[in-house]
Amino acid sequence: MKTLTRNIEALGALLLAIIWISPLVFAFWAAFHTTSDAVNFNITSPWTLDNFRTAWAGAPWLKYFLNTFLLVTVILIGQFIVTTLAGFAFAQVQFPGRDFVFILVLMQLFILPEVLIVENYAMVSRLGLFDTILGVGMPYMASAFGIFLMRQAFKGVPIELHEAARVEGCGWVGILWRVYVPLARPTYLAYALVSVSTHWNNFLWPLIVTNSPDTRPLTVGLSIFGAPENGVDISVISAATMMSVAPLLIAFLIFQRQFVQAFLRSGIK
Amino acid sequence: MNNVATFVHVDNVAKRWNGQLGVENISLSIPRGAFVALLGPSGCGKSTTLRLLSGLELPDEGQITIDGRDVTKAAPSERNLSMVFQSYALFPHLSVAENVVFGLKVRKVGAAERREKLTRALEITGLLGYEDRKPGELSGGQRQRVALARAIVANQPLCLMDEPLSNLDAKLRASVRKDIKKLQIDLGITVVYVTHDQTEAMSMADMVVLMKDGQIQQTGTPEELYYKPSNTFVAEFVGAPPMALIEGSALPGFGEAARIGLRAENVEVAEAGTGRMTCKVSECEFLGSETFVGLSHPGASGLTVSLPGLRNIPAGEEMEIYFFDKDLHFFDSAGQRLAQQAG
Repeated sequence: MKTLTRNIEALGALLLAIIWISPLVFAFWAAFHTTSDAVNFNITSPWTLDNFRTAWAGAPWLKYFLNTFLLVTVILIGQFIVTTLAGFAFAQVQFPGRDFVFILVLMQLFILPEVLIVENYAMVSRLGLFDTILGVGMPYMASAFGIFLMRQAFKGVPIELHEAARVEGCGWVGILWRVYVPLARPTYLAYALVSVSTHWNNFLWPLIVTNSPDTRPLTVGLSIFGAPENGVDISVISAATMMSVAPLLIAFLIFQRQFVQAFLRSGIK
Repeated sequence: MNNVATFVHVDNVAKRWNGQLGVENISLSIPRGAFVALLGPSGCGKSTTLRLLSGLELPDEGQITIDGRDVTKAAPSERNLSMVFQSYALFPHLSVAENVVFGLKVRKVGAAERREKLTRALEITGLLGYEDRKPGELSGGQRQRVALARAIVANQPLCLMDEPLSNLDAKLRASVRKDIKKLQIDLGITVVYVTHDQTEAMSMADMVVLMKDGQIQQTGTPEELYYKPSNTFVAEFVGAPPMALIEGSALPGFGEAARIGLRAENVEVAEAGTGRMTCKVSECEFLGSETFVGLSHPGASGLTVSLPGLRNIPAGEEMEIYFFDKDLHFFDSAGQRLAQQAG
């Protein structure tokens, strides 16, 4: 009985894993074969890199990669600054109305980002940031999730460490920088992973707020590249998709253990 | 302030939390270079007093001066003091060396001077060779020494310690106690030391401040607390076993004394018919070199007699005891000590 349930569990897990990974496996398969071979699932058909050559020549991918990389970095830096300061204020600074303000910030979690698209568009235009990387990243910098995460991490820091630093002559900034930030490192790592993967894959907002190849991130570039007006070639699109996800995928495979540990550690503490 | 020797002066300080009692009417004069123990049961306000001295809490009333400077509202870092926390408060992400020089770095002391002071502090605390370890890789005793090294590295004239030994095992505690005392004398610093352990207070301190319910009960040398307890609380708190208290009615002939105190070492077993009180044996506590025999008497509490070696007296047996008038302590009905009287 016990072995049976365990086998069923293992089977279920395996099934889920197969369902999850099959689109990726198909894209991988299609990217390395001619379109007809890919669709016919001819196992013995020859492998080819032609699709990558065609895809690479079809769009300014290098520029897109750079844009996505810049976008993700700008957002992450902005988020670290804002969430650190806000999280510290909510965790350790006494000010009137603190809990009320914190609830207001948390309410942001209940609002779908898509609802705000028009308002954000108007705001970004007013700021003169339309079609800039900063404009794409700005609405995400004051992340309620990040503020909440940092507040929890900072609340977990023993108050004696705070007091010891005060006795040793640290001011607010010194205490934050020398005590709280280093101790919250696992949380920063976990948050960075979530943030980078989210914004690497973000599509709708960048699509709306960018309109030139100079600012377009990978996701938008890929969708334009794969749009029906350009003719549908499943193998070439797969090749382009593989190129887009490759950096994240390789990073995940290399840092798999650290990824999982970062989540576990920031969860437990 | 009042006299040249006073280093820390606390004048009528009070701290309350939402109307609840914190500490009240705290007045202290601590001479330069003294070792002062704040002693008392948990919740008596001794840690609060220490935190008021450190500036981590600010008093609602009263005045605190350190080295002649009014620091009542000053930030902790402006008071020229160092602190050892009960949990040691070592920064887990920093190595031993970085932990020790943390304050020097914050205060922008030059690298060369920092290294020199670090070496000295590690030498004194016997931590040379552990510079690069993280606190997580050290034993409890070593962590404690890192906390001490951090407290002495900046050469601050005043060091506050909040139950620094309570996380160590009994054997280590005895040896670290001696180390701390020696350190204090060698460096000539003033130490204010919070503890609930009277052995620590009595063995290390030049001056003991015994507190209860946010009030100072008695301030004095360990001898004064032991031989001249100012009230029945002090009498029952200090000493092992604590002082026995006898109702005035059970021992007539001492005027208005409502209660009479008597220490175990002053009690002798008397021959039948010659004793001053007749008690029943309630228990025997064997401690190796001696046995404490607990006695019960309707008009007394905590009566004990100390007998040499191993004794096993069956409970319920009658025993007569004798003692001299000069060894008695007299307290009035409010529990305050009465002037020594001849009875």
